[in-house]
Amino acid sequence: MTLPIYEIRSLKHFYGGKTVLEVEHLIVQPAAIIGLIGPNGSGKSTLLRLLGLIERPGQGHILYNGQLVEPFSDEARFHITLLPQEPFLMKRSVFKNVSYGLKLRGNSGDIADRVNEALSLVGLSSKDFAQRPWYALSGGEAQRVALAARLALKPKVLLLDEPTASVDAGSAQLIKEATLRARRELGTTLIVASHDWQWLYEICDEILHLFKGRIFGSGRETIIFGPWQRLGTKKWGKILSDTQQLLVPPPPDPEAAAVFDILSVSQDRPTAAGKDVVLSGTVSRLSLERKTGRLFATILVGDFPFNVGLALQQGEEHTIFPGKTIFIRYRLDQIKWI
Amino acid sequence: MNFLLEGFFQAFNLLLSGNAETYSAIWATVKVSSYSIVNSLLIGIPLGFCLGYFDFKGKKPIRTIVDTLMALPTVFIGLIVYAFLTHRGPLGNFGLLFTLPGIAIGQTILALPIVIGLSATAVESMDKKLRIAILSMGANRRQLFLTSLWESRHGILAGSIAAYGRVMTEVGISMMVGGNIKWHTRTITTAIALETNKGQFGMGVALGLVLLAIAFCVNLSVSFLRRR
Repeated sequence: MTLPIYEIRSLKHFYGGKTVLEVEHLIVQPAAIIGLIGPNGSGKSTLLRLLGLIERPGQGHILYNGQLVEPFSDEARFHITLLPQEPFLMKRSVFKNVSYGLKLRGNSGDIADRVNEALSLVGLSSKDFAQRPWYALSGGEAQRVALAARLALKPKVLLLDEPTASVDAGSAQLIKEATLRARRELGTTLIVASHDWQWLYEICDEILHLFKGRIFGSGRETIIFGPWQRLGTKKWGKILSDTQQLLVPPPPDPEAAAVFDILSVSQDRPTAAGKDVVLSGTVSRLSLERKTGRLFATILVGDFPFNVGLALQQGEEHTIFPGKTIFIRYRLDQIKWI
Repeated sequence: MNFLLEGFFQAFNLLLSGNAETYSAIWATVKVSSYSIVNSLLIGIPLGFCLGYFDFKGKKPIRTIVDTLMALPTVFIGLIVYAFLTHRGPLGNFGLLFTLPGIAIGQTILALPIVIGLSATAVESMDKKLRIAILSMGANRRQLFLTSLWESRHGILAGSIAAYGRVMTEVGISMMVGGNIKWHTRTITTAIALETNKGQFGMGVALGLVLLAIAFCVNLSVSFLRRR
């Protein structure tokens, strides 16, 4: 059995006496891609900082390759690297920023080659950018330089906190490609927090939903976070980007998260009776769950991914494939709140 | 106003002709201010960095004391240092009264709180994201400390310049501890005070211009360093 690259045991973390993260047990396998989904303040960045050994957990333990680790641990500090949400470059040239980590590791011979290689991975020409000072870069370029500085280290674990949140579409695409290449070529374990659900559902082996500092489910459920708004006198929900209404029963609080139980999927619009809600969406991912032999489909409804497990037969019956428009049905009285 | 104009002409004349008395005061100033600034930077930067970087019990009161000492009156420092260095004082045996090293001691005391206080401010105002960035690259404690120090260099440099400016332009310590002895402990500022009293505006203005020129050179080299 492969030793997990990370194991978290009874972890609790506090800021100002308030519990901000609570993870009872979590295992991450080597070379996995794990996605973290949750609203702002749900604990994604905190979890990444703890896994990145930037902060020491208030309680509990983090094991890396079976060894207990904490900030400055020699067993892990050269293997794990975190790319924070906002790029932060040191007051030095691009070359010196990218080579900083290599110098910390005592590399001396092939620094220039590794810097050039890392810069080209993120689509920056070494000739044009290597000698640029830190202040002469756009936001997207700075984020790509920051990523290049991490990729140059050929890390075993790359933690990404909203890597594409504050960059233009072109930079976002380059960042996505570069991180996946690191996983493909180096077997790097990726843990990514992002609001780009579609991308996460596309690339991740496992998705963890975080809400109010706790992990809910493991990506097989459909959890949609608030805020919810009143849509008329009795109805609550969200107006989706394609103008459909995602209806829910009155939430316990407008910020609560709703767990949806999808009753059926079909290629023809079913008739909605009583408390049924029918929405149309597009299949964005289809995968086979080896353990159960079931199909697992992610259907994008507006911008929200709905996860549905299907028997193989159902998949064939409805000829489900990525890109196809299908209908999902759920019941209002079966929605659970967390 | 003619006397001021004449003063300017006389100033250029003194400087260009290499007047020995003028250059003696310039040399004394450069020498004594260099001693004192080097001392205060060597002691003050590590202390200021620690004060800004670490959280410890009693940090706030220490910070308040340092900030208060930044406004120490030079005549008061002069008085205290004089009392220590006079032959009746505890350091009287060293014979430092009315010497340039004696003035340097007083000026170090003057510059030290400025270097400590402004270095601490520079470190405190460092972006919190810097620590995450350094740690995420795999730094150990020593590397974290040294990189943080290097990253706060611009603020520390600005503090050092402020301290140098204060040291170069002070009169009280140089006058009381140095005694304004011609060819020996007469500095630019004490010379200006004396020559003005004597009605010799030319030398006063000449020395004032030199002070300005030194300040300009220092700032020029700092702005060059800031770009690096």
